Formats: sequence, structure tokens, C-alpha cells
Amino acid sequence: MSERRAAAVGAVVVVALLLAAAVAGPTAVSARPANEIPVQSVAADEQPQRPTSETWDTVPSVSVPLTSAPSGVPNASDTSVESVRVQSAQTDERLYLRLSWADGTADRNASSPRAFLDAAAVQVPVNTSVRPPISMGSTRNLVNVWYWSADGETEELLAGGPGSTTEFDQAAVETTARYDDGRWTVVMSRPLDSDAANRTSFAVDNNVDVAFAVWNGSEMERSGRKSVSEWYYFPFGPGPQGPPYESILWAVAGLAIVGVALVTIEAVRKN
Amino acid sequence: MSTDDGPAAQADGDGVDLADGVDHQVAMVMDLNKCIGCQTCTVACKSLWTEGGGRDYMYWNNVETKPGKGYPRDWEDSGGGWKDAEHTERKPGDIPEQADYGDAWSFNHEEVMYNGGDQPLRPDSDPEWGPNWDEDQGAGEYPNSYYFYLPRICNHCTHPSCVEACPRKAIYKREEDGIVLIDQERCRGYRYCVEGCPYKKVYYNATQKTSEKCIFCYPRIEGEGPDGETFAPACAEDCPPQLRLVGFLDDEQGPIHKLVEEYEVALPLHPEYQTQPNVYYIPPFAPPQHSEDGETVDVDRIPRNYLEELFGERVHDALDTIEKERDKVNRGGDSELLDMLTDTNPARKYRLEVFDDE
Ligand code: SF4
Ligand code: SF4
Repeated sequence: MSERRAAAVGAVVVVALLLAAAVAGPTAVSARPANEIPVQSVAADEQPQRPTSETWDTVPSVSVPLTSAPSGVPNASDTSVESVRVQSAQTDERLYLRLSWADGTADRNASSPRAFLDAAAVQVPVNTSVRPPISMGSTRNLVNVWYWSADGETEELLAGGPGSTTEFDQAAVETTARYDDGRWTVVMSRPLDSDAANRTSFAVDNNVDVAFAVWNGSEMERSGRKSVSEWYYFPFGPGPQGPPYESILWAVAGLAIVGVALVTIEAVRKN
Repeated sequence: MSTDDGPAAQADGDGVDLADGVDHQVAMVMDLNKCIGCQTCTVACKSLWTEGGGRDYMYWNNVETKPGKGYPRDWEDSGGGWKDAEHTERKPGDIPEQADYGDAWSFNHEEVMYNGGDQPLRPDSDPEWGPNWDEDQGAGEYPNSYYFYLPRICNHCTHPSCVEACPRKAIYKREEDGIVLIDQERCRGYRYCVEGCPYKKVYYNATQKTSEKCIFCYPRIEGEGPDGETFAPACAEDCPPQLRLVGFLDDEQGPIHKLVEEYEVALPLHPEYQTQPNVYYIPPFAPPQHSEDGETVDVDRIPRNYLEELFGERVHDALDTIEKERDKVNRGGDSELLDMLTDTNPARKYRLEVFDDE
């Protein structure tokens, strides 16, 4: 009798734990796959274009490591920025990216021969179903580059390999930047959809690759002398790594485990 | 005119080393013995190409005193160029500080000229360096001090390290005449060319956010002026003593080919930078040294080793050749070489239309 009771109590505890795991699983394990930049829905009236908007407190942040880009320019391996924090959000209309990195000096002008600007860039493929070479794409696999520099300018560029950038006639990317307490925080945004030639559309059902670069002007970083990330992606696709699928899988797995446990307990009790 | 005493002739002339893919090569010879340091060339260039728009501090043509720090200051120590004659590896270079170029000063013209002030004309700022800050200082002790003027433009090199330095291929050596130009549409102001040019003849324009340089007055040599006439570059045409010859290195009938390739008396500046300049200099002569009591002594006033630093080992032969030809003329003989160096006929000094029919 006491044995049976112990078994029953034990079984109840197991079931409770399993249920808790099944419910908490997706969040607790931080099931975000490596290199994913989650895109969180936010309201436009929360002003996500402002680097200081409180809405960014609710958006998960990814710490993206940076390394020197392979490049033929002198001192290419001598770069200073080692990581960038990346957050992404969307409204019905626009995609927002918030980049934040440490830089001891705000280099906002290039007004003398040795002065260079702080800058940051985001790279996305034109054809989002194929991953281009990380170094600014290739002639057959073009990329869009959103290039912000600390003089306040933002350029939207098309590139097909290193040294090949050309500017779009009219930039669709808007940028707001803030330098505070040794950090740049830059929010870039663009309409999700685009039907312009060679301009990436985010209104797609597949994941979209994205990569990042940062330049520190006071270290004379420019051109190929830059800190770059590897490819990351926005999870726009319905793939198994997408959040809805993930929850369903966790739920199914949880229920199965609970079912097995219940059957086992029943068997023990009948014993 | 006698040519019988000419040098080891390469008169059949296939010896001219042009850059790959270039049909002809513009070239200039400057006779340093004639430069009076008047800066007319500098002003001609400035008023034509570099007034305002972020260009005030730039002198595509400058004339500096040698020995001296030059413009920009200490440019000879700023690196750039190639490691060797293979032209495979470049030497690292630096971008000069703004202070090394000097600022474009503004002056108290208003007060002095219009408001009747009696203060001297002077810059509003308190500069400590600028182009020609060390003008006429030179070197050596009285009575054997010496200096000479060195006019400098972009050398439109046969192996331009500025071109190689650009990650965007925004600088190019144009096919028809080897003039080195920066495509202002492609340039993004990275300034690798500025550090890559060992002569520091590319300048960053902080207003345009691009780099700019001497264009060998290509619209003038293309006859783009009024009446479609062809003109030599302004620095050459406006020079009072007319010390510059302009033409093509591969024009075998012209004086430049003869001075550079045949007589070998016109030499590139700092050949060890290995860019193979197409501006050539007749090295300067100076009166011999004086003893303390004013007697002429048989010692070069401008030390040969200093000239060798500037123009390489070939300077000795060049000076010897010129000296020999001068002696010959002094003895009443003829010299094709000295005829070329003293020619005043513009049609022979500026030969820019010789390949027009091609
Ligand atoms: S002088 Fe300098 S800028 Fe001019 S072609 Fe040569 S390397 Fe280039
Ligand atoms: S104009 Fe002629 S003489 Fe005068 S500084 Fe220039 S090169 Fe020398």
C-alpha cells in the first residue's frame, strides 16, 4: 500500500514536470537557431525609427560577432569593432533594424585628408532565395547594401562583388542615429515590399539572409578595411525553424510524453 | 644641325616602354636650369582647375625649393610606390596631415585694401607651415649655399601605384595617351591613391568627398577650347622662361624622345619609387663653389650625391653629357642637344598633334 502510494505520488510529480516542460519549452530553451535575427511585430506609433524608442526594450537582441573582412587593401586585418548588437522589428509596412556598437569617438566628418567617418552597413541579397558570396555578392548574385555614415548620410547601394557598388537613384532606406555614452545606435528602416528593379523585397515566404559591417573612422577604417559578420537571416520563411512550427512540435512532443507517462502510471497502478 | 656626335642611338625607337594597353604616352621635360620660381605655372593651374569647391589647399602644380621639405611637407618620406621593378608589390604609404599641406589662408585684404588700415597684409590665422614655407632656404653655408626650384605635377606614370591602390578601379590610365585620371563618379574618397602615390600628387577634396589630381589639361590638348585649337597644359604655356617641353614619349621625331631615350639627359624624379614617371627633368647646374676669399674652386656647388638622391645614378652621365656638349658649343661646334634645350619655337616645343591622324 505504501509502495503503491509512493509510486502514484511519484507519477503525479513526473506528469507535472513534463507538462511544465512542454509549456515552457519553446521559451526557456531559447530555441532561436544560431544566426537568426528574429523580427518582432511592433506598432508604428511606438516610433521604432527612434533609436531610443521604448519599443526596442521588448525586442530580442542578437549579439553578432565581427571580424576583419578579407580584403586586399592595406592593413585590412587591422579593425577595431568586435561585435554589434542587432535587433529587428516590423510594422505592417516597414522593416526596422537597430544596430548598436561601442566606439569611443563619434567621427562625424571627413573634413581633412586623414579624417574618415564612422559607418555601418547592412547587406541583403537581391534574390532572397539564393545566398550570395558574403563579400558583397557577385555579378550573378547581387546584393543591396544600406550604408550609413556618421555625417548623417545613408546610401542604398547595389553591388556585385567587392569594389562594385553603385548607388540607387533614390534611396528607400531611412536612418536615424544616436551617439551616446561611447555607443552608436542606428536604426535603419525600409518598406517591407519593393517592386523596384534589384531592390530586395521582404514580403516573401522564405528566410532572408542579412550581414553586417561596421567601420571606425578614427582608426582610418574605410572600404575593405572593416569589421564584418557572417550571414545571418530574418526568419520570414515557413521552415521548421519558424516559431509557429517550433511551438507545435514542442506541444506534440509534450503530449506524447504525457500520454506515455499516463499509460505507464496506469500499468503501475494495475500492478 | 649635327647629329654625328649623338649618343648610342636607339633611333629605331622600339625601346620606348609604354604601359600595357596604352597607345601613346604624354610626357613633359622640364629644364630645371631655367626655373626662376615665379609660380606662374602654379597660379595658371590653380586658376584653371583648383579654385574653390574644396580645392583651395590643393596645388596640382607646385614649385618647391630643393633642398627643402616640399609640398606636402616631407612628401619624400611618405611612402607609396612599388617595392621593386617587378611592380607586383606596393610599398605602404601615408596620407599627409592637413597641416603638412598647409591651409588655404584668408587674408586681411578688406582692411588693408579698402578700409584704409595701416597694418601689414597677413593671414587671419597664425599659420606655422604652408607651401613654400622654406622657399629659397636651400642648404650649404655662405658663400657656398645653394638651392634650386623643382616644379612638380602628377607624373602620369607608366606604372602608376595610385591606380593599383584603388579598390574600386576609379583611377585609370587612359588608353589614347596614358593620362592618369580619377573617375569622379566611381571615387568614394577612400584615399588609397593618396597614400599610394609616392609623389603625393593625388589630393582629397573634403567638400566633394572624392580625390582629385592633375589631368594634364586634357581638354586643352584635345582642342576643347574656343576655336578648337590645341594647347599644351597651362603650366607649360604660361611659364615665362618656357622651360617645359610637352609631347609624346613615343614620338621619335620630337625633342622629348631624344632627350629621354637617346641622349638620356632628361631624368625622372626618384626613379627608385619604380612608378616610371613621364615627367622628366634636366638636372640643374650651379656655379662651382667659392673659397672664403672668393676664389672659384673646382667643387660642385650642388653636391652630386644630393642630385643622385633626387634623380638616381644616371644623373652623373646626364650632367657629363650636357657638360661635354656645352664645351663643344663653347669651342664653336654644333650640338643638337643644346639646340633642343635652347629652342624657342613653340611648334617644336609642344608636339601634341603628331598622332592625331591615327
Ligand atoms: S605621380 Fe602619383 S598620382 Fe601621378 S600617376 Fe604617378 S603615382 Fe599616380
Ligand atoms: S612658371 Fe616656369 S619658371 Fe615660373 S615657377 Fe613655374 S616652371 Fe618655374
